[in-house]
Amino acid sequence: MSQPDIRSSDHIAGGEALKARYGRDMFNDFDIDDPQFNENFFDILDEMVAKCPVVRSNVGAGYWMVTRQQDVRRVGQDWRTFSSSKGYMPNRPEGLPYLMPEESDPPKHTQWRTTLNPYMSPKAVATYEEQIRADANTLIDRFIDNSECEFVSEFGSKLPGWAFFKNVLGVPIDDLDMLVTGVENGTFAPPEERAGHFEKVFDYLGKYLAERKDQPPRGDLVDVIAAGVEYEDGNLAPWEDRVSILVDLTFGGIATTTYVMAGAIHHLATHQSDREALVDNPELIAGAVEEFVRVFPPVVALGRTCTKDVEVAGTQMKEGDFVLLGYGSASRDPRVVDDPTTINITRDTVLHSAFGVGQHRCIGSNLARLELRATFEEWLRRIPDFGIKPGTAPVYETGILRTMKDLHLVF
Amino acid sequence: MKVEIDDQLCSGHGRCSILAPEVYRLDDNGYNADRGQIIDVPAGYEAAAALGMRNCPEAAINAVD
Repeated sequence: MSQPDIRSSDHIAGGEALKARYGRDMFNDFDIDDPQFNENFFDILDEMVAKCPVVRSNVGAGYWMVTRQQDVRRVGQDWRTFSSSKGYMPNRPEGLPYLMPEESDPPKHTQWRTTLNPYMSPKAVATYEEQIRADANTLIDRFIDNSECEFVSEFGSKLPGWAFFKNVLGVPIDDLDMLVTGVENGTFAPPEERAGHFEKVFDYLGKYLAERKDQPPRGDLVDVIAAGVEYEDGNLAPWEDRVSILVDLTFGGIATTTYVMAGAIHHLATHQSDREALVDNPELIAGAVEEFVRVFPPVVALGRTCTKDVEVAGTQMKEGDFVLLGYGSASRDPRVVDDPTTINITRDTVLHSAFGVGQHRCIGSNLARLELRATFEEWLRRIPDFGIKPGTAPVYETGILRTMKDLHLVF
Repeated sequence: MKVEIDDQLCSGHGRCSILAPEVYRLDDNGYNADRGQIIDVPAGYEAAAALGMRNCPEAAINAVD
């Protein structure tokens, strides 16, 4: 574990000001799981990106968090210096299997991405649009006559899973709830419980992959995962790596898009002119989607491990140090986004890091955009006027991922 | 106007093509089909090309003299 060697006095002074406000020095004694971060998410990110290019946490083995877009880009693109092979999670619990290909570097990572990319391209996911729209309407049908709903449990936590499981994986729909719960708990349960939840998901998907391997090929993503790719040593990827690919894709598809949907619907529920603009001009929805992704980043930060001593934005890091890429803060960097704290659904430059940067760019980004666009088009068509149920307020959970747990609407 | 798309940096976000499809094409994997090359921007699409360029999260697109 290393101590900060080069820390400007700005960081220290700014951090102490935050200590008075939040109960801890968010610049020099950060904890991404701190409830104060959850409660004051935008404010703290904005302070960081303005004043603290490299945040320090002393939790567990300790970690850094890089906050500015330019530095996040540099670190994310430099996979040789900042490796994914020791995992994306700070203070990784013992016994948690590595997710592939997320937690690997080139050339292994490249082998897998080259094989998987065609199935998640804009062209490939476009073939799912009709089914996604139909599913959005099926979910809306269930509550539209109630004049109210809880958006997350009745729509937002279901649609991304349905879209992924039905179209991409072909898994039986009856098993969806169990998988969604397993991934959510694997992310947000108390840290010591997470590995157990992940294990259940791993087990299910391992069995599914084995079944599919013995069935005639359907020409889909699962076939190529089951078949495996050849690694540099000339051997086929071991079976556990193939299962891990399936889990990684599942995890990416479920725990994330929900937050963008819920954040966007909450914004539209509380901003009549934006809601009406999209109802009247559905062609604006695609641009609004990108702004919602920027402002409601489900992936707050993911990590890398330094393969050598390196300086980042004035902070000296040591080989072995864990560094978080602050995707949430980088997406609010005033150096690259004009007036970043404002949600502007028609802004023309929407630079964000919500889908990551570098080779590990979210493979599901095209599917996510499609799900979001189809969701808002169908929702606004069927429920053009809606608000927050009086006496309720959304509830969030934050760590390296963020989500909204609860959003009560009336219409 | 000419732009160059860096083939090491392009990671398939697709923003260039979403915003300026007349200038930026994607391949079947969703990556810029002209990455590693310099392309001519069709006359009248300079603003579109600039919009796509500045929305690339990787800063993979640059104007070339």
